[in-house]
Amino acid sequence: MKYIFSFLILISLVSCDKSVSESMIEPYAPAKVDETAGSWKTFILTNSTEVVVPALNSDAAYKKEVDSLKSIEVTASQKAAVLYWGAGSVLRWNEIARELAARYNIPPAANAEGVYPVPNAADPLADPKFPFANPPYTARALAYLSVAQYDALVSAWKYKYQYNRPAPSVLDASIKPLLPVSTLPAYPSEDAVVAQASYVILLAMFPGEGPFLAAKLAEAKNVPLWAKTNVNSDVIAGVNLGAAVAAKVMSRAKTDGMSASNNQAIVPDMIAHAKSLGFTTVWASQELPARPPMLPNYGAVKTWNFDRTTLESIRPAIPYLPGSEAFNKDLAELQTINKTQTREQAAIANYWADGPGSYTPPGHWHRYACEAGIEAKYSEVRMARMLAYVGTALMDAGVACWETKYFYYSPRPQQFDLKTSVGLPNFPSYTSGHSTFSFAAAAVLADFFPDRANTFMANAQQASDSRVYGLIHFRVDCTMGGKHGKAIGDYAVQKANADGAN
Amino acid sequence: MPHDAIYMNKKLACGALVYGTSSWTTYWENGLKRDNPNLGRLTTQSATAMIAYGITRDINVMAMVPYVKTDASQGNLMGQQGLQDASVFVKTKTKAYHGITAHGVVGFSIPVTNYVPDFMPMSIGLGAKTMVIRGMLSYALPKHLYVNSSIAYQARSQVKADRDAYLAGSKLYQTDQVAVPDAFDAAFRIGYLKKDNQIEFFTEHFSCTKGDDIRRNDMPFLTNDMTMTTVGIYGKYQPKAFGVNARVAYVTDGQNVGQSTSISIGVLYQFKIK
Repeated sequence: MKYIFSFLILISLVSCDKSVSESMIEPYAPAKVDETAGSWKTFILTNSTEVVVPALNSDAAYKKEVDSLKSIEVTASQKAAVLYWGAGSVLRWNEIARELAARYNIPPAANAEGVYPVPNAADPLADPKFPFANPPYTARALAYLSVAQYDALVSAWKYKYQYNRPAPSVLDASIKPLLPVSTLPAYPSEDAVVAQASYVILLAMFPGEGPFLAAKLAEAKNVPLWAKTNVNSDVIAGVNLGAAVAAKVMSRAKTDGMSASNNQAIVPDMIAHAKSLGFTTVWASQELPARPPMLPNYGAVKTWNFDRTTLESIRPAIPYLPGSEAFNKDLAELQTINKTQTREQAAIANYWADGPGSYTPPGHWHRYACEAGIEAKYSEVRMARMLAYVGTALMDAGVACWETKYFYYSPRPQQFDLKTSVGLPNFPSYTSGHSTFSFAAAAVLADFFPDRANTFMANAQQASDSRVYGLIHFRVDCTMGGKHGKAIGDYAVQKANADGAN
Repeated sequence: MPHDAIYMNKKLACGALVYGTSSWTTYWENGLKRDNPNLGRLTTQSATAMIAYGITRDINVMAMVPYVKTDASQGNLMGQQGLQDASVFVKTKTKAYHGITAHGVVGFSIPVTNYVPDFMPMSIGLGAKTMVIRGMLSYALPKHLYVNSSIAYQARSQVKADRDAYLAGSKLYQTDQVAVPDAFDAAFRIGYLKKDNQIEFFTEHFSCTKGDDIRRNDMPFLTNDMTMTTVGIYGKYQPKAFGVNARVAYVTDGQNVGQSTSISIGVLYQFKIK
């Protein structure tokens, strides 16, 4: 009897499905094809025809290309690739970027001499790997990705309606595409445009991922043919357009000041400045051995949606000085949480932690943005536009927050005998990066999706609170960071409202 | 114990309260043995209440639940504490072949509190429900000596993490459901048992069936392929109803785990249930 019992248990064990399921995103036809997107204002391109897409070849040649699709038989794995990429090229490349950010978001280990080696872009896979995709790095990578996708797609839309080539299945009804086909003209292929532009940006941001990115690119370029939604000349034109636009976007990236963002030589002056403001205790690394502060000069990186004068004018006011009554009140709040943190507070702190090994808070908000765009059945160009404003707002938030952090160089709660349930970031406290990032992104998303504005703002508030619950920020860091973030997001909203898309 | 060849007589019960402390200063980050000054010594203390009961001489049930507390001696990570996982085991035996006794053990465990599973290494447990099936052979040698070897399969459920995205290997999962890998363990024991007094030397090997490795300088995670080999000594002295036991164990080799030294002492009390 007992053998039968054991056997039954074994069977039930084996049949237990352990695979983790993620929510599937189905390919969809966009709610609107956005015929006029070719006239939307771009970020880097001066206009949508700055890069030339060559004229169509003859109708007869196109007919021949369309006919050649008929002989394409897709395998099961090719069909899976079609369904994967069919959910949206902009979405998928954004996801790939977030995955890379997570993989590279680990602080370097100290070497035997107690020194933290700096990642080397020329030797990206050595230990420590380049880049350390921390929140400022990831915010910037995602911003350039989204801007390149957007500018390239605006240009693609311009040429699509200029040349007006019908999709293969529109020209020849015997072609049965594997993905929904809208009235969008086919030339150049928007999927190829996005693929090539994304590849160029991501290879620059993650230079050790050449083979991985090349494999993604090769698959993404084949999908329009496997799906029978484009012919080869659509793909080639798209690749060329995407590459040319991405090169222009990269020329801004190379000169935006990022290469000087880890300039540690300026730190002594920053500390002296903070002391001159009245800080008796300034920030000090709590790691052993002490780690140099993260990207002290990121605050000097070029912003997207406002200029330097504005950045300085909206910098949050000086926080409560250590020892003051208001400071002691914030400290007391943390001391209480340190003793009596509830499970719900811990859960909120963990949900928003987005620490090492994660896609960081900017990645979290890009994910929210993608999910909202899909729910609204955005076209590729509208999705890229929304992500470009969210992405640039997040990068602006990072730059302005880092400028603030190093302007005040204020101490972390852990310098006052507090623990943390999420892990302690290695840079000054005021203002909270999470609060600034989250309110900036939420302000943009609230404008794009007014029906969900309250949800996005509530999410931002929770992300902000999470840093108090996790004990790594004083309340004032979060409230002032949140206000700063909202103001930063509003600059992106102003720009979006004047780009001709609404 | 679920892993030994000792049975309570029918209607006889043994309750125990066991205090344990386990700590490490070095750990294996993937295969790299290292320390971490931002953790110092990671100590896990536990107080476990357990009971064993003889349904018959050949079928015993056991139940236990530990209260666990973690603490790092350096750095700023907050220690965690709480009731961890309650487990129940049924153990049965039959004479097999030439004096060899075969045993089968089935066990289940389930978290009894909503502790944080994904704040490793400070978390008090993995948060998974588990089912264990153990096969064991024991053999009595002359002069009260015995040998005992066992092998077990541990099926472990998915866990709901607090976060809703995580890396496993190089893939980013966008869900809060985390697959904790199943595991095997195998053990060999040799000891002396006279009446209720016992001393035993053992070695155990634990290994996950799959999983990923801790990335360079990253924290451990629920999906890790943990492996460890342990050696230890166990003793029990029970002259009458009251008794004591003690166990010392040391991890000699591993991957994605701490090199822990564990010590536990317990008080035992045997009683009849009518």
